[in-house]
Amino acid sequence: MKTSILAFALRALARRKARAFALGGGLAFAVALVAAVVFLTESLRAEAERAHAAHPDIVVQRLVGGRPTTISSADAAKLTDIPSVRSVTPRVWGYVFLPSLQGNVTIVGTSKNAPPLSLANGVLAEGRDVTPGAHEMIAGAELARFLGMRPGDELGLPTTNPDAHALKLVGTFRSSLDLYTADVLICDEEDARALLVLPPGDATDLALTLSNAAEARVVARTITEKLPGARVIERDLLARVYHLAYGRRAGFVLGASIPAILALLVLAWDRASGIGPDERKEIAVLKAVGWSTSDVLWAKLFESLLVGASATALGLLLGYAWIFWLGAPGLRPALVGWSVLYPRAALTPAVDVAQLLGISLAVMGPFALLSIVPAWRAATTDPLDTMRT
Amino acid sequence: MKHARARQVALALVVSPALVVAGLAYDAHARRAAKNGDAAAIDALARRLPTSDLALSGGARWLRAISLEEPGAAFADGPASPDPDPAGAAMAPPVELWSASTRQR
Repeated sequence: MKTSILAFALRALARRKARAFALGGGLAFAVALVAAVVFLTESLRAEAERAHAAHPDIVVQRLVGGRPTTISSADAAKLTDIPSVRSVTPRVWGYVFLPSLQGNVTIVGTSKNAPPLSLANGVLAEGRDVTPGAHEMIAGAELARFLGMRPGDELGLPTTNPDAHALKLVGTFRSSLDLYTADVLICDEEDARALLVLPPGDATDLALTLSNAAEARVVARTITEKLPGARVIERDLLARVYHLAYGRRAGFVLGASIPAILALLVLAWDRASGIGPDERKEIAVLKAVGWSTSDVLWAKLFESLLVGASATALGLLLGYAWIFWLGAPGLRPALVGWSVLYPRAALTPAVDVAQLLGISLAVMGPFALLSIVPAWRAATTDPLDTMRT
Repeated sequence: MKHARARQVALALVVSPALVVAGLAYDAHARRAAKNGDAAAIDALARRLPTSDLALSGGARWLRAISLEEPGAAFADGPASPDPDPAGAAMAPPVELWSASTRQR
């Protein structure tokens, strides 16, 4: 019996095609927009957290006037005797402005005992790792493409240090790692030091590895006692930073989407505020031919369910296709930033069944329920009165 | 539309969200599995990089590594939002001077 009412509800919607399409289209658009923002945000968070585990337990920076500045090897030496600190590695990295790019590239110096990068471990698309002292570099695929460089080409990066060498490109990162490497240029630590004009013995920051990561908070407190004014960044807190950073961006985009969501609310209000004279007459006829109030309510509930369900399915599909099949055109710049060197790597979905079901139920539930009250009012009035008016 | 046909179409529409959710979850799972193939490469690469921050706004802003350089900034790279650092600030960096000094070298 219920399936017959369901079929009747579909035919009733077909009789009011324009209204059903307007309502379903608006709902599908709003679902697609919200779902796309959620999909993109979750994907970016997951990408940032994917590389999180490989990072040092603690990073120490020196602050002067509230701004990060270079830190000396003397400061590094003060930290080596803290219990639980396994290693203290001074890191050399920073930015160089490329006028041809009208933006910065990130220069990263490689320490001598760094693990190798190769074609075999999947990091490089072509070439090999840098050889210490040979004035070589590896660049992100996007950066190399922008500069028109191939392995074997040399590049003199702008710097105020006349002793800095031109660097020979010996490898490029795989384009699937673009999200991490689009603007990165890895070279020997001495070359990075020369390019960034970093005095010998100074480092950009210190990377600490602990024998027990759970002691990070205690070690961080000891570091602030030994190096007053230092900024101590614990690895676990960074996960929260990513969460907040992408959450804010998502909030901003959703905020900008308020007009679209308002349109959805107006449509929902249209459902809640009552049903039209044609529908009222239809209900009266149904009652006159013997339908019970319960049957009428089921018919109206099914009408809402059909519109809500198909719009939700379409919206989810559109949102997913927009982000992961088409690469989020239009939305990607708003959520990820305005980089000159844009990572082209495809995003990986981080959504699970629970999130998808959550979005579906959050849309369909209220939408279906909104149709009950006006249908109840219409179904409980006298059919003769309705038909006379 | 015949009654049986209408019934089939209606049932298909009602269960369409479940079908779409299942399909998307499957596609997402397959894409995540494919991405897991990059896990070793990402791990090796991440040990060389100063931060796991994504290369999303480095060219347009001074701050490439938001987690290390600006952990608490709100809307630091939102459209038309204030940015305390040179490349994204209301007052532009001296690009012409930098370009000129580069050409002289």
